[in-house]
Amino acid sequence: MPHPTQSFVRNSLLSVIDATGYAAIGPHLEPVDLPRGTVLIEACKPFMHAHFFNSGIGSIVVSTVDSRRVEAGIFGREGLSGFGCLLGVDQCPQTTLVQVEGEGYRVSIEALRHACQQSASLRETLLRYVHVFISQTSYTALSNANQSIEGRLARWLLMCHDRVAGDDIALTHEFLSIMLAVQRPSVTTALHVIEGYGFIKTRRGHIAIKDRDALVDFADGMYGVPEAEYRRLIGPFG
Amino acid sequence: MSRFYLHQQIANGIIEDPDGTEAVDLTAAKHEAILAARQLLANAILAGVAPLGTAFQITDEAGHVLMTVPFADALPPRFITTY
Repeated sequence: MPHPTQSFVRNSLLSVIDATGYAAIGPHLEPVDLPRGTVLIEACKPFMHAHFFNSGIGSIVVSTVDSRRVEAGIFGREGLSGFGCLLGVDQCPQTTLVQVEGEGYRVSIEALRHACQQSASLRETLLRYVHVFISQTSYTALSNANQSIEGRLARWLLMCHDRVAGDDIALTHEFLSIMLAVQRPSVTTALHVIEGYGFIKTRRGHIAIKDRDALVDFADGMYGVPEAEYRRLIGPFG
Repeated sequence: MSRFYLHQQIANGIIEDPDGTEAVDLTAAKHEAILAARQLLANAILAGVAPLGTAFQITDEAGHVLMTVPFADALPPRFITTY
């Protein structure tokens, strides 16, 4: 089966690596659809593949045994799932699932590890991405500990907006409440408040971003640093 | 399981619940309203602002109001008499 050429792929990590790096990984990329809700990695179960997204959004979620959950991080075409395999592990305590449908490529963790041994460009780019992802989860911790629900929601909408095409985000309040680990009416109320400021426009199951700069200001410094790290260390983002 | 909607009464209207929630019965829906009211009150107190809402109206899918849950019901009794 022919594999995608580097100029064709939209995943940013695969786009920025050098030609030798792409030659090491390209032949192992299998195109996959990523329907909403697909569990890519189950918590505490060995996983076999990493997924490079071309579109859509993946979510990394942690939960207690009695199903209290919070989202620890998100990624889209700037990242990949299953990067734990680069750190020498084949299972992890978080769940990785598709939050906004998309498509991308999957690669077996053996092939990815082998390609990383062959190409310093690939290995270093992916490890820098791991650093950026840790920065993102650090800011998520800061936001969760310090911000009002409205501020947390604003930050999260910006992170989603970075990863979708256009200004419309298709999400239910229920889903947002799980991601932010708040009661569902708290999401409804926070959206009402932010919409009252004119930063967004909501309709059932959809949120449209109307004034991104104002939303960044409203997020009060909690949004932007991991995104800047990505641009500094890897390449274009958002 | 039935679908219940938690519409929030605010000073100048209603914040509508667009999606509703699945709950086993009205008691379970009321429990959800109490937990939500506590979080909304806490979020407002932490931010130093007045809460928007005063009560939840719990409705069925047809829009019939089954129960009204005042936010005061979400507070411990001593909280109300002391503060």
